[in-house]
Parts: sequence; C-alpha cells; structure tokens
Amino acid sequence: MTMTLASMTRPGDEPLPRRPGSLRRFLRETGLLIVRGLQTIPRVPQRLSDVTIQPLVFTLLFLYVFGSAIHIKGMSYQNYLLPGLLGQSLAFGVIGAGVATATDFNTGVIDRFRSLPVTRLSVISSQVIGQILEQILGIVIVAGMGLALGWRPHMSPFGFVEFLLLMLLGLSAFTWFGVLLGMIVKSSDAMQGIGFAIVFPLSFLAGTFVPIAGMKLIPRTIGDWDPLSALVASVRHVTQGTNTTGSWQLAHPVVSMIFWCFLIIAVCVPLALRRFMNSN
Amino acid sequence: MSNDAIRNDESVVVAKGLSKHFGDFVAVDNFNLEVKAGSIVSLLGPNGAGKTTIVRMLATLSEPTSGSATVCGYDVVRDADAVRGVVSLTGQFAALEDNLTAQENLLLMARLRGYPKGSATRIVEGLIDRFDIGEFRDKLVKSVSGGQRRRVDLAASLVVQPKVLMLDEPTTGLDPRSRQVVWSTIRELVQAGVTLFLTTQYLEEADALADHIVLIDHGRVVAAGTPSELKSQIGDQRVDVVGVDASAVVLIVDALSATFQVVVDHNRRTVSVPAPHDLADLAAVTSALSGVGAHIDEIALRRPTLDDAFLALTGQVPESYENEPAMKEVTP
Ligand SMILES: Nc1ncnc2c1ncn2[C@@H]1O[C@H](COP(=O)(O)OP(=O)(O)OP(=O)(O)O)[C@@H](O)[C@H]1O
Ligand SMILES: [Mg+2]
Repeated sequence: MTMTLASMTRPGDEPLPRRPGSLRRFLRETGLLIVRGLQTIPRVPQRLSDVTIQPLVFTLLFLYVFGSAIHIKGMSYQNYLLPGLLGQSLAFGVIGAGVATATDFNTGVIDRFRSLPVTRLSVISSQVIGQILEQILGIVIVAGMGLALGWRPHMSPFGFVEFLLLMLLGLSAFTWFGVLLGMIVKSSDAMQGIGFAIVFPLSFLAGTFVPIAGMKLIPRTIGDWDPLSALVASVRHVTQGTNTTGSWQLAHPVVSMIFWCFLIIAVCVPLALRRFMNSN
Repeated sequence: MSNDAIRNDESVVVAKGLSKHFGDFVAVDNFNLEVKAGSIVSLLGPNGAGKTTIVRMLATLSEPTSGSATVCGYDVVRDADAVRGVVSLTGQFAALEDNLTAQENLLLMARLRGYPKGSATRIVEGLIDRFDIGEFRDKLVKSVSGGQRRRVDLAASLVVQPKVLMLDEPTTGLDPRSRQVVWSTIRELVQAGVTLFLTTQYLEEADALADHIVLIDHGRVVAAGTPSELKSQIGDQRVDVVGVDASAVVLIVDALSATFQVVVDHNRRTVSVPAPHDLADLAAVTSALSGVGAHIDEIALRRPTLDDAFLALTGQVPESYENEPAMKEVTP
C-alpha cells in the first residue's frame, strides 16, 4: 500500500498489444470467457451436482425403485428410461442456462464485460457455448451410467450421427431459451422457481418415465402436445427404433423435434441478442 | 481526433443535452458536461439523483434517450467500441465473477484487454501489491469482505492505464485507510495524465479531489463550478457557536441577536452569524457572549461548506460524513 505508481509495474509500461482482426478477437475473447465459465463449475457445488449427482440419482431411482412397478411392452425398462432421461437432461438445460445467466447479470460481471472493448457477441456466445459444454458433461454421465446398467441402444453409424446432431440441436435450442429467460427474470431464485414449476412437470408428462398413452385425459392431452414429448420420443426413436403412437408430433417425433428446436431458436436468438446488445 | 494527442485544454468528455427516460420517468434531463483532459470532475448528488445513469451512458452501458456524448472524440453510441478502448469504469456495485479468486478476476480482465498471459500476470501482480490484495488474492471473491471486493473491483479497472477513468462512488463502503489509497491513486493517475470522472455522495470527497463539481438532483444540474465557486455562491463566511444544550442555545441567541443577524439550527444546537470581517467579527461574537453564562461547546470561524451549498441550492441536505468518524483526509 506504500508503493507509488512510479514504483509499481504501471499498466502503461506494458505495451498494449496490437488489436488483432475482428474474427481472431472474437474467438480469443469467446475462448477466455468460456474458460472463465468452466473454471467456476467446481466452485458452485449446486451447479456441479445438477449435472452429475442429480442425473445419477434420477437414473437409479427410476431404474430400481419406480421402475420395478413399470412394465413397458416389448422392451426392457432400461431401454425405455434412458432415452427419456437424455431428453429430460436437454430440457433441464433451460434451468441451468437460465440460472447461470441471471446470476451473471445480477453480480454485474456482465456489465463489466460489456464495458470492456470486448465484442459483445463473444460475451453471449461464450455464455451459450459454456452452458452447452456443461450440459454435455451431464449427458455423458447419464449415458455412461445407463450403458453400465444395461441400456442397449440400437443405432447404425448413421443413426449415431443423427442422434448426436439431434442432441446438439436440442441443446442449442434449450440453452438459448434459458439464456433469454435468465435475462428476462434476472434472478436466479426466480429461475429455479420457473424450473420447478414448469420444466419439471412438463418433463414428467413427456413420456420420460411412463408412456403418455396410459395417462389420464388431462395429462395425456398435455403430454401429446408438450414439445418435450417430441424431444423424448425422437431420442427414443433414434436410439431404440421405437415408434410412439398418439398425437401427430409423437408419430413424427424427429420432424417435430427439429421443428420445435428451430422455432425456439428463431424466436429466442434474436430476442436474446437484442436484449443483450442494448439493455439498460 | 487522435487520442494520442490530447492537449491540456482539450475536452475529453463532452455531453450535450444527454437525457435518459425509463418509461415515463425522466432519470436524467438535458445533462451537459465538459471534462478537460487531466482534470477531475465530480458528479455530486443524493440518492436517485441520476449519477449512475449518467456514468452508464458515458461508459456505453446504456443508450441515451436523447442528446449525445463523446469520449476522446468518439461517440458513445456510434463508436461505442472505441469509447470502451479508452475508458475504464468501476461501477457502483462491484462487478466481479464471484466464483473466481481475486487474482483470477484481475487476470481475466487483463487478458480481455488484450494482453498475453505473461504481461497480464505482471500487471496483475503490480495491482495486487498496490491495492493490498495479497492477503486474499487466492480467496474466491464471494467470500471476501465488501471493502476488499471494492478494492479488487478498482484494481480491475486499472489493468490498463485508461485515458478516462470513471468511478461511480469509489469510496462508499471503504475503511479510512482504503479510502486514502483510492484518493492517492486517483491523484497519481491524474499526475500521469488520466482524466477522472467520479460520482460521490460525499461532499468532503468532491471538495478534496475535484477541480470541478457538478451538483445534480432529480436528473438535473443544480449548480456547477470549482469547489470555491460553489461555496461563494452561497455567501460569506460565518461564525458558528455551538451550545451544549437547548437552554444554552437560547442564551446565545439572546446575547447575539441584538447586534447580529442570527441563524439558528436547533438540531445541531448551532447559532450562526455572518462574519464578513474575519477575526473582528469573531472577536465581537466572543465579547458579546462573555458574561452571559451560556455553556459553549465550540466557537469557530467557518467558510461555507458544500453542505450549505447543497442546502441552499436544492433545499435538502445530502448524505455526509457527519456520522462517520475519521472521514476527513489525513495528510501523511
Ligand atoms: N433501469 C431502470 N429502470 C427504471 N428506473 C431506473 C432505472 N435505473 C435507474 N432508475 C431510476 O433513475 C433514477 C436515477 O437513478 P441512479 O441510479 O442514476 O441514481 P444515483 O444518483 O446513482 O443514486 P445512488 O446515489 O443511490 O446510487 C432513480 O430514481 C432510479 O430509480
Ligand atoms: Mg448510483
């Protein structure tokens, strides 16, 4: 504290590096910000458990506790449940991305980034990419766990690529949706609340754990048109070759899921970008 | 304008008719400002006056509803990126990543400013020394104290030596020692050619640091000028007599009102009389009081303070250091 500016390494002494071209700048800044996001994961126990322990608990709980009372015609419960859980992980990405975004906006750290000569696009893309990476971690854990416990997907190499692309599309759509929600509600508690009040029940009605066809009228109607049902049914279709019956979207799950995802992206990305670029 | 060649009389920050509306609410109304290179301008105003809103517009975080502003010649809306290159901002609330350590936060800011890892590390070490961060450098920012956070936040805006440094209430919540560090850092930065724009609710701070003060209230400029110009708008110096209790105040008023025009502030138990003739007036007051038998706490010749300025110009008393001890600047 007794040092004077003259005696310390003054910022001005370090020559400011030449600014690289805008694409290099964008990539560099995005990279730095993604690393910053990933660095913080292990330090927030809740975030870590959301993508690791929680999916593990769900898998075990449904496979061995509720699963013992659920019988799906023509397939093992593992093969029914795992695609459902993978679809559910995608949907929970909304909550994860929303909470992370709301937190960033609340702590003011986004304002700090926005006040730096950093391309604004890199701030929001790093948010989205970082979240997608975090969700992928959770999905890999669920899939690995499932495989170890007897899940047997039936996919051709082409089917596997289709599976990966669908997952990635779903992740992008739900993450952008979460980022937008996070910016709108601006509070991580409210984001958790929305997660539990809306995403949670919708993901349960989506044929994740039990077939929609066997549900009572009201949940069945919701499940028939729930976008998450298309998600779950399409994952089930590409991994197990299962065809779901019911509403049109359930009979054509892959097309429906692609439709839903593009719709979400087409609505959320411009809104999120606009909000981000000129928020007050 | 080339920002390498800022002459001393050049205006570095210029705001013309800057306004900000939130819906129907007018937070800032037709704000004009010129900040000369190398000077310290302080925006002074009570809660809700619009200080933060003005700083955010000048730092490109918020777009003006109308009017315009330039920093180093760059328009804050059209050339926002260029403005961000020359401005460093420390906002009112610490803007750090809670789940990174102090050192990691600073490093991230330096890297985002474009420095490669090596020089970024050197810069960060310098800042850690200067702001006395060493003790908690490896603690997560979420678990350090408010004042410590504030120091990291200030350090974060000095990873480069900016052309213009904007500080929104930089010393709120700091202990006297840290406040001294901030004040001396500000002065050294100005020596080094940095232009300072800072907001404060503390009159002493504006008085001690600023070359030019802009007093705002309800989004409008109430008065502007050098600290002494502002004070002289309020009138001459005066003698303040503070009684020990209410009955003493009555005695004092009785004794003085015959010869002087007295102003009584019962809350502060203070009786003031104008003192255009310095010591002669002080002497007259003391002799008028002798033999009256009033118990007196304090008797002093005072120049008007910014408190008086504020009271006179806006009709309300701003927050002051009044209840916080040790706020006066200690000259080492
Ligand atoms: N995003 C916003 N939406 C609506 N009103 C706002 C918004 N930001 C600020 N205001 C209002 O604008 C006015 C000025 O706020 P500002 O934060 O600029 O005050 P300030 O001078 O910085 O106050 P303080 O000393 O408390 O920090 C306040 O009345 C505030 O309620
Ligand atoms: Mg403020």
